[in-house]
Amino acid sequence: MSLARQSAAVAAKDVRIEIRGRYALGAVVPFAATVLIAFGLSLGPDRTLLQRTAPGLLWLAVLFASVLSFRRSYESEGEDGALEGLLLAPIDKAAIFLGKAAAVFAQLVVLEAVVVVLVTGLFGLSLGASPATLVGAFVLGTVGLAAVGSMFGVLAESPRAREAIFPLLVLPLATPVLIAGVKATALAVAHRGGEAHGWLGLLLAFDVVVVGAGTLVFGQLLED
Amino acid sequence: MASRTTDAPSIASHPDAAAPVPAIALSGLTRVFGVVPAIVRIDLRIGPGEVVLLRGPNGAGKTTLLRVVVTALSPTYGSGSVLGFDLVRERDQIRRRAELLGHRTRLYEDLTGRENLRFACSLYGIDDRGVDEALERVGLGEAGASRVRDYSQGMRQRVALARTILRRPDLLLLDEPYAGLDGGGKDLVDSLVVEAAGEGRTVVLATHDAARGSMAGRMLFMDGGRLAPVPDPAPVAR
Repeated sequence: MSLARQSAAVAAKDVRIEIRGRYALGAVVPFAATVLIAFGLSLGPDRTLLQRTAPGLLWLAVLFASVLSFRRSYESEGEDGALEGLLLAPIDKAAIFLGKAAAVFAQLVVLEAVVVVLVTGLFGLSLGASPATLVGAFVLGTVGLAAVGSMFGVLAESPRAREAIFPLLVLPLATPVLIAGVKATALAVAHRGGEAHGWLGLLLAFDVVVVGAGTLVFGQLLED
Repeated sequence: MASRTTDAPSIASHPDAAAPVPAIALSGLTRVFGVVPAIVRIDLRIGPGEVVLLRGPNGAGKTTLLRVVVTALSPTYGSGSVLGFDLVRERDQIRRRAELLGHRTRLYEDLTGRENLRFACSLYGIDDRGVDEALERVGLGEAGASRVRDYSQGMRQRVALARTILRRPDLLLLDEPYAGLDGGGKDLVDSLVVEAAGEGRTVVLATHDAARGSMAGRMLFMDGGRLAPVPDPAPVAR
């Protein structure tokens, strides 16, 4: 079986578990909505200020919520030793990384759609100025986040490690995504999408490095 | 943990060679967790088609030994081969051919029994048309459509048995397979062992259940992480 088919099997399994259980999205969407509403209330009614801070708040909500998605992605593997089943299966271990990253990507895209709608409604943000830049920033940024979370999630398979170590590993590594995502989004909503190529390029480079590294080293991270 | 297996020549000849290849051949195998040795200098040879009973008190190292043999754990020291393949360098070859049915069933709770088996088929490249038949054989024909979360421990164990039926591994390692099973389930395990032996496949059965294991041709005893003389070989019927 090819790497693509193996990855698709893992991704389909993870998506099915998420749809069946609605763990991540059931917790993540309310969390993201709460963060945005709390920021909106604390910043007050100044619409200009809200619109200036909206890109940052949007990405912060996505980043924090994504940590919950990553953790859930590996919780299901730890429930009854399922991760060992993946380890012992005669498949390319990179398929586990790629499959889990693809499943988390799908979940985060759904989350982002909800968050963008919330930000648009709460903060009066206009998103139609440079839709290609905006979509590009979110797609590239989400690939990077999903890859980082899926690569290091395996290190935090035990519940204790998930709580303590995982955010410490993932959040610093996700900082380039956060910065580039915020900058590209801010330019897109300010009708200056054409100036965002540098930030989109940074996101693309980050994706290539992290997906490449994960594909190469995930097997070693998984093995005893 | 990084493997520190010695580079000594493999005990077994390669499976392509004409001579019979031992199913398991271990030499000085040691596994240490931190500073605590779980198994110590295990020298063991199990021939192809043998059914071996593995006994010993809790903490004797039986589970660790089986997990090393199936390559879930790397040996800290020593060398070995399983089905003719090196324990460290040819793990994928071993994983294709060996199955450990252990304490944990490796099932996803939010998938149904049937979905779990189909996923296993996709991982092992097995035709999943046999899934329903395997579920019927373990007595879960109808329950196969329910989520594993709603299963009892015995039902989970039966799904794991169905996975073993689908895989038909050359080496079957059973670690307390009777735990959580009712009488019918225990008989099912025995029938699988007998069937595997009849097909010339190798079985290692670790159990505390004194009433089981009569089909074994040999008994090994572990204590304190080492293989030890069998204290009372009488229960093993030949």
